[in-house]
Amino acid sequence: MTPRPSKVSDRSCDRENFRWYHGASCTARGVLSLLGAALTIVLQGCVNATVDEMTFMEPTEGIGDASVVIMGRRHAPDYETEFDFIECIGDHIRRGDASITVLHELEFINMMYPWFEPRTAPLRTDDIDKLLTQQRVADRFSEIKLEYMIWIDGSTVETNSSGSMTCGVGPGGAGCFGFGTWGNASDYEATIWDFTDEIEVGRISANTSGQSYMPAVVVPIPIIAPVQGTACDSLGDQLLKYLSAKL
Amino acid sequence: MISGPKRTLRALGILAGLLLLTACGAREVVVKGNFPKPLMDPLPITLGVVYSDAFAQHEIFDEAAGRAETDWLVKTGDAQVEFWTTLFGGMFEEVVRISDHDSLHARESEIDAVIIPYVADLQYTIPLHTNVKVYEIWMKYRFRLVPLDAVHDHENGDLTIDSTEQLAEWTLSAYGKTPTAFLQSDEEAVNLAAVVALRDAGANFATSFTRVPGVAAWMAGDNEAAENDTEAFESE
Repeated sequence: MTPRPSKVSDRSCDRENFRWYHGASCTARGVLSLLGAALTIVLQGCVNATVDEMTFMEPTEGIGDASVVIMGRRHAPDYETEFDFIECIGDHIRRGDASITVLHELEFINMMYPWFEPRTAPLRTDDIDKLLTQQRVADRFSEIKLEYMIWIDGSTVETNSSGSMTCGVGPGGAGCFGFGTWGNASDYEATIWDFTDEIEVGRISANTSGQSYMPAVVVPIPIIAPVQGTACDSLGDQLLKYLSAKL
Repeated sequence: MISGPKRTLRALGILAGLLLLTACGAREVVVKGNFPKPLMDPLPITLGVVYSDAFAQHEIFDEAAGRAETDWLVKTGDAQVEFWTTLFGGMFEEVVRISDHDSLHARESEIDAVIIPYVADLQYTIPLHTNVKVYEIWMKYRFRLVPLDAVHDHENGDLTIDSTEQLAEWTLSAYGKTPTAFLQSDEEAVNLAAVVALRDAGANFATSFTRVPGVAAWMAGDNEAAENDTEAFESE
């Protein structure tokens, strides 16, 4: 049982694949590709990302036909982990290794009701035993072959905003003028529980921040920093590395 | 015959008038949701359930406090009945809904006890009230567990509950919140917060029912202790 600590820092402007247009000539494709890449770089703000990882007992052979569920923590009064963020991480893992069965969060919460509501969800691995005293709950877990339960705790918040923009409509047309900027920060931690052994086997955290801009001279041009998306990709990559036998 | 521009102006005028009228009207939410059956080992109890009219038609009307606000009407009655029927159905071996003379007497020999839920209080907040980007609903319930003898039917079909006979009485609170979301109306958000609150109420009820002192005493067969249990139990 060797811990695998690592720290990855990344400062990058996000890249997106540029889709080729069928039927265009090679030169046109080249120009379109360059334009697309330039637009992508210009229209996306930069994001700082820091990922910390501490994992144990990695399943080197993969998880076979067992399943994984990823859930958000929602018991804190001042924030709750976004459902779409959990969905994003699940999709990231499914895309990375189609052999991993990642259960849909809402379906899982509904099929296990009322044991994973904010009030009743287990906070420690010790609470799993209490859950399994309910025979129907134990049977359901066996049925879905749950091997790992991953809890994501955190949220994305707006850290600052400034600037102003004025828009107007007249007989000759409409337009906006001004400049706005705002910052976002994401702070998430994933805790991995080995459900069979009822122990915690890892923690991965991702902190990202970025500044978005919206200049407007007639037309507003949003330059959005994909702060939450980068946090999703960072956590998703690390979880995929942990769970998949292919990577 | 009205010419093109005049017709457009008239249409715009009607639209503006309709928008103004809409802004003045009360905003109404009829709570709707899909409620899952609880995954539990059912308690070996045949439970009668009485939903009072006040419960089955529960709604709150909140009058606007100022010109910037609108009236709100939140109807939770149908959702309450649907939700609690589903929850009780999964928690107890058998559930009998008692609504009139026939249903009261049809299976009286089998019913172990009767539960009567009440909505004691319901409060909600929207971002306009709090300047926080969250819609919240808070509900307080009161439950009474009584022997079947305490339920009386009358010629007009009404049912009354004898207040002197009861096995247990307790309250529980529930809370639901939902954050603001892009393209989500206030009504949709309040509905979602109410559904979360109902689910929370169910989770609270399901995990605390057997810990209510009067219920625990009754289930242990100590009916006298249960009937003497006048101390109200509050489940947070």
